[in-house]
Amino acid sequence: MKTVRVLITLLVILVAGVAGSWVWNDYMHSPWTRDGRVRADIITVAPDVSGWVTKLNIHNDQPVKKDQLLFEVDPLRYQAALAKSEATVETEKYALALAKHKYERRKQLVKTNSISLEDLEVARINTKVAEANYKLAQAELETAKLNLERTAVYAPESGDIINLNLRQGNYVKQGSSVLAIVKANSFYVTGYFEETKLPLIHLGQKAKVTLLGGGKALAGEVVSVGRAIANTNTQSNNQLLPQIQQTFNWVRLAQRIPVDIKLDSIPQGVQLSAGMTVSIHLSEQ
Amino acid sequence: MLQTISFAGLEFSPLVILLPIAFCLVACTRFILHWLHLRERIWKVAWFEVALFFCYLAATVYLLGGR
Repeated sequence: MKTVRVLITLLVILVAGVAGSWVWNDYMHSPWTRDGRVRADIITVAPDVSGWVTKLNIHNDQPVKKDQLLFEVDPLRYQAALAKSEATVETEKYALALAKHKYERRKQLVKTNSISLEDLEVARINTKVAEANYKLAQAELETAKLNLERTAVYAPESGDIINLNLRQGNYVKQGSSVLAIVKANSFYVTGYFEETKLPLIHLGQKAKVTLLGGGKALAGEVVSVGRAIANTNTQSNNQLLPQIQQTFNWVRLAQRIPVDIKLDSIPQGVQLSAGMTVSIHLSEQ
Repeated sequence: MLQTISFAGLEFSPLVILLPIAFCLVACTRFILHWLHLRERIWKVAWFEVALFFCYLAATVYLLGGR
């Protein structure tokens, strides 16, 4: 009887050892993380010309279609520039005609030795200069047309306006971003996995993504594994000496490597915003 | 199924729930064994109960962990 009592306790201890080992491996060595974020393609929109905003066609968080008018910059300056360029083209066109005419006439005169060959060569070069000036004026006209066209700023992609601080009457500068668009249907998830779990992760692996806010899990698959993260030890001070961070001898924190996960589909009713927190479980296969 | 526990905007490990469940199961087992007068017949009862706790914990993780 004593043997049976001992065996029962030993059996339970043995099972507990196996079970404890399974729980440890499940938490520590399976490819999952709570450190995941929803991300999206963000397009920053900057005007290609400077000026006052005369028309603002959008409001914050508004969905927009591709090529929809977002805002207009005061076109008066660019209309004047276009008119000036058109006039310059006209001038250069006649200057070229005159130069050609002079050259043709001098070609006849040189046959009768009325002018020197040098005069003829000067006329020929003048024609070439006039031709180049004409092309230059045409190029400037194209630039003026482009600038005028770009006083109207259109949406480069369909999506949602985000963080709009632009107001009608603001002065905008060429190349300075004034609003951002979250590209439609571009949501994906990035999970920051410990480097110790990286051997368990491969491209195409199925993923189950759970939002912090709850709801049904989203399905996806691994599409990329980050190939580099910043190394603080490579920074230098003002004497170009490497700044090496101190570490504890016995404690090493695993680095986090970003792994991108493409979502298969977003179910109806699920509201995603870039930056939301998610938990990610990857399949073991 | 329990993967993470979200409470007031904070996210906790599911073990926050699973550990008390395993502990309660051990307490129930202990009570039942005591009621059946079997507890005093177990060899090294403390070892037995600690081992049982780990078994219950693994079972709750497996059953409630969303696998």
